[in-house]
Amino acid sequence: MSERRVWLPRWLTSEHPLPWLFPVTSLLIVFGLYPVLFSLWLSFFKRNPATRKEKFLPSWNWEKMISDERVWDAVQVTLTYAFIALFIQLVLGLLIALLLDTDRKGFGVLRALMTLPLVVPPAVTGMMFLLMYDSSFGVISNSLYSLGLLSPNTPILGTASTALWGVIVADVWQWTPFMVLIMLAGLRALPKEPYEAASIDGASAIQSFFYLTLPMMSKIIALAVLIRGIDLFRIFDYVKVMTDSGPGTATETLTAYAGTIYFKSANFPYASTIALATLIVVLVTSSLFIKIFKVKF
Amino acid sequence: MSFKRFQKQNFIIDSANAFTAGKMSKRDFLKKMGLAGVGMSAYSAGMLGGSSRPFFGNMAHAAESTTPADVAEFLKDAGKPFAGTTIRYTSEATPPTNVLNELKSEFTDLTGINVEIEIVPLEQVLAKATQDVQGQLGTYDIYYLDQAWTSTFSPDTIDPVEYYKSKPDLAMPGFDFDDFSQTLVEGICEYDGKWIGLPFDIPIFTLMYRKDLLEKHGLEVPKTYEDFTAAVELITKAEAENNIYGTGLQAKSGHYSLECDWTQAVWGHGGGIFGADKNFSGNDEQGIQGLEWYMNLLANAPAASVTSTWDGQWQMGAAGQVALVQSWAEFFPGWNADDSKVKGLWEMAKPLEGPATLRSRDDVGFGEIPNWGHQGGSSIALSRYSKNVDAAWLFLQWACSKDIMTRCTLIGGFAPMRNSSYTDPRIVERKSLEGAGTTRHLDTVKWTIDNAIASEPDVPIWAGVANNEIPTELGKLLTGQDYGGDAKKCMDQVAKLVDAVVDEAELG
Repeated sequence: MSERRVWLPRWLTSEHPLPWLFPVTSLLIVFGLYPVLFSLWLSFFKRNPATRKEKFLPSWNWEKMISDERVWDAVQVTLTYAFIALFIQLVLGLLIALLLDTDRKGFGVLRALMTLPLVVPPAVTGMMFLLMYDSSFGVISNSLYSLGLLSPNTPILGTASTALWGVIVADVWQWTPFMVLIMLAGLRALPKEPYEAASIDGASAIQSFFYLTLPMMSKIIALAVLIRGIDLFRIFDYVKVMTDSGPGTATETLTAYAGTIYFKSANFPYASTIALATLIVVLVTSSLFIKIFKVKF
Repeated sequence: MSFKRFQKQNFIIDSANAFTAGKMSKRDFLKKMGLAGVGMSAYSAGMLGGSSRPFFGNMAHAAESTTPADVAEFLKDAGKPFAGTTIRYTSEATPPTNVLNELKSEFTDLTGINVEIEIVPLEQVLAKATQDVQGQLGTYDIYYLDQAWTSTFSPDTIDPVEYYKSKPDLAMPGFDFDDFSQTLVEGICEYDGKWIGLPFDIPIFTLMYRKDLLEKHGLEVPKTYEDFTAAVELITKAEAENNIYGTGLQAKSGHYSLECDWTQAVWGHGGGIFGADKNFSGNDEQGIQGLEWYMNLLANAPAASVTSTWDGQWQMGAAGQVALVQSWAEFFPGWNADDSKVKGLWEMAKPLEGPATLRSRDDVGFGEIPNWGHQGGSSIALSRYSKNVDAAWLFLQWACSKDIMTRCTLIGGFAPMRNSSYTDPRIVERKSLEGAGTTRHLDTVKWTIDNAIASEPDVPIWAGVANNEIPTELGKLLTGQDYGGDAKKCMDQVAKLVDAVVDEAELG
């Protein structure tokens, strides 16, 4: 072992973890912690929309948020969106992964093709679907009209009862492959022996799935749900591009509402408060999830 | 928007209409969509649903004129100290901005000052300007300001009249502030006795109609809101098989375009946005009548109206999908473009009047001007935080000079800001044209500006409520998300929200 340079304090030498942790820690502080603390500080001010003057009133925005009906509507939309999208992506992801979990010829190409939607930027995905939903020439809208499932007087993204579904479909198209990849990785890592034993005991494929695959995959599933769940809580791109929170507030999620308050009303303290509330909800929910489902990284 | 794109959109719409009417097989439809590049260019085509302003200018007309010699000489001398400087401004894709973007090299050639114009949708212009003034960053030397934001940004801009006087070395010869239409100055860029910028753009509501369809159904050109409703209902019913609607709207939920439509509906029925007591008054009897009238129009408009802004409404007219529109006069030149399928079929008339009488200016609050022709004008203003204020001032004078403004109208066909432009021989001679490059609509536009211009309230909270609270709640009503079709219930909620903002701003 080389001799330590005596003129340097020990915490500055390569033997100490600090110099190694410093770059990434400082980045986290500057780009992660500082904005959060600044938002917190900002949330303690009441902004006058006419004079733009800000007054220190720590509880103003938080009380306003609690009594703001639009916030509660946004919470409802966010939860609905997150749970429905997550459920569909999870089920579809697992099913597709089971289908692709084979070494037969050509399946490698299919697995590679599955990643294609993931490389499309979400805003572009939103625009693609915007086009496909167009009530004049959109392929999805026209197909639904032809099948009699939708009236031409019901633009998908312009009707309160269908708009959220329209956005969810875009999310499902883009992110189901992510679930497939995680599930495939999990399936491929499963031991073969339990299946051989089950087969000898005469277990059917369905029994093997429910009594072997699902229990053994539970940790992977929990991890996938956690990662996608956090993403879905923060959803912004699709909503902004496809509906801009409309019609009315039918697709207004918490982050979209914070964006509206920030960009349209220029009420920065209140927008920060809503953004922080979203962060708190995500932190609490994910922590509980990690504890309950014993997710290990 | 290019002519090529216009053709492509019409091609797509025609094909879609034929397909939905059962006149084309699915295979042929998909083939045609393939030809149009749908799917392959999803990103750009997706912009169909955006909110850029329609523009069908002919840049070839720009060569018809040059900067006058004395102005060119002045720009060469005054620009010398700033050669190499880059000035920036962000703007909506308004027709004059599009023209300026093409002509700006003339300014750079004369002065050596580079100009960067960021063209983004209106809501992003607001967001960028707001962030810039909040941090007093000076990222933008010039702000593009919609009339609804005039009071909001008044503390952040330099009064051009004062600046002209205070900097004689940089004062363009013959700039002539008095040549700007006085009603436009009042409505667009004056606040609290100060000019916050220079008038730049004046989209204003007039009536536009398809003369062929009115003739076909034996209809007179509507003059009142009642006539309009009757004509719209009749045409929707009679033309149902041809997929033509009486009217088309810019009723996108949560968007400023919906707020503009609603405002005109309220004024047109004798209502106002704010009362003299500074409380929201859109929920009174006249306000509700206006909104109910608008709801009835929506039932006679293409379903896409609730997802359309001005761009979508223009497309409805260009595609021959609608017969009557009370909306922005600047749609007109595009409908007369050379390759427009409705070229020469649209005509313009004065905005609808009555039968209700207008609310008096004394009975409304915050400087609101109720009238028949909603204006959506804009100004360009010098940023107080600019680091290149003198260079930007030279550009501003050049952009709003008589020559450039007249050329903007010649190229784009939209209404001029300056009185002298209306009498310019090049503009007068094009009044006889039927199709592209026509200026036959400008007399009606000028009449509306001079006699019927309506302006939204001048109050710093207006940019926020006009883009958020009002169009969002209206969207809930119009798309059936809330209020069960009850206009009064919706307007009462808007009143509650807007009055809360007024109180929060301590303006009540």
